[in-house]
Amino acid sequence: MPDTRSACVSKGSYHLGVTLSLLSASLISCQPAQEPPPLNLNLHQQWELQPGDTLSGYLVSGGLGDISIELGGNSVYAPFSGTAQPDQRRCLIFSTPDIPAYLFRLCGLSQPRYGSRNAGEPLGQANTLQLAALRKQPNGTWAIVEPSKHLVERVLTR
Amino acid sequence: MTTKAKEKPSNNVRYMLAGGSVLAALGLVAEPSAMIRRGSQQDQCQQVVSSSARLSREQLSRLLSIAERSPKAKVEAIVKPPYCQLANLPVRAGSEAQRHAYPLAFDPKTWVVILYEGNEYAGYAFSLRQ
Repeated sequence: MPDTRSACVSKGSYHLGVTLSLLSASLISCQPAQEPPPLNLNLHQQWELQPGDTLSGYLVSGGLGDISIELGGNSVYAPFSGTAQPDQRRCLIFSTPDIPAYLFRLCGLSQPRYGSRNAGEPLGQANTLQLAALRKQPNGTWAIVEPSKHLVERVLTR
Repeated sequence: MTTKAKEKPSNNVRYMLAGGSVLAALGLVAEPSAMIRRGSQQDQCQQVVSSSARLSREQLSRLLSIAERSPKAKVEAIVKPPYCQLANLPVRAGSEAQRHAYPLAFDPKTWVVILYEGNEYAGYAFSLRQ
């Protein structure tokens, strides 16, 4: 009788160990360091050419509404504390609760860093950055708008 | 047999220790606080307007029913004066964004930040405060 009880307890703790390990694995998968799934953004402007398209075998790196900046391989930074996610065209989408109703799209980054970023943390490097500001519309689409110089500067400087 | 029965409890302890260590290690690696978006310098209150202002569930649900780009007055009629104003900020060229913050009455560490441009309501976001 004492033997059986002891075996049950042992099995219980083994299960506990396994459960804890599984829990650990699921916690690791929640880490922001891992690449989050791509966002599918519906743009308000239905322009024919978008960054990421190919035309005559060449990559279209920017479209109408993108501000192109020659960074020469330098870094860009999170303008506020927020979250970086990839979009369906592999550009980086930055959102922050500090600026409701806006998203910022950064294309051309060589090593984009996704997940939670504090203000001033690097988001990646680029030779030529394509930056667009997107404003939320009542129908859930995102309109490309002209970003202020102030905002662009926040992305370019730490 | 007796020896075997004695070994088992030590195995229990081993499993428990292993599980506990994994969890403790995770606490160091996963850094749960990093999963929560923290406020930054730019979202600090610049000026407290109404220190008792809180947003009720009813006000929140009415706010969510308002479409972006509606008149600012329509939103203000629901939410009343804010707890505080965050620094004005040019997000879009040629337009200064005003940001009003309201702690939730039922969850005061969560704030609703509302952004206006001129007389237009642009949208809201939830911001976790420490």
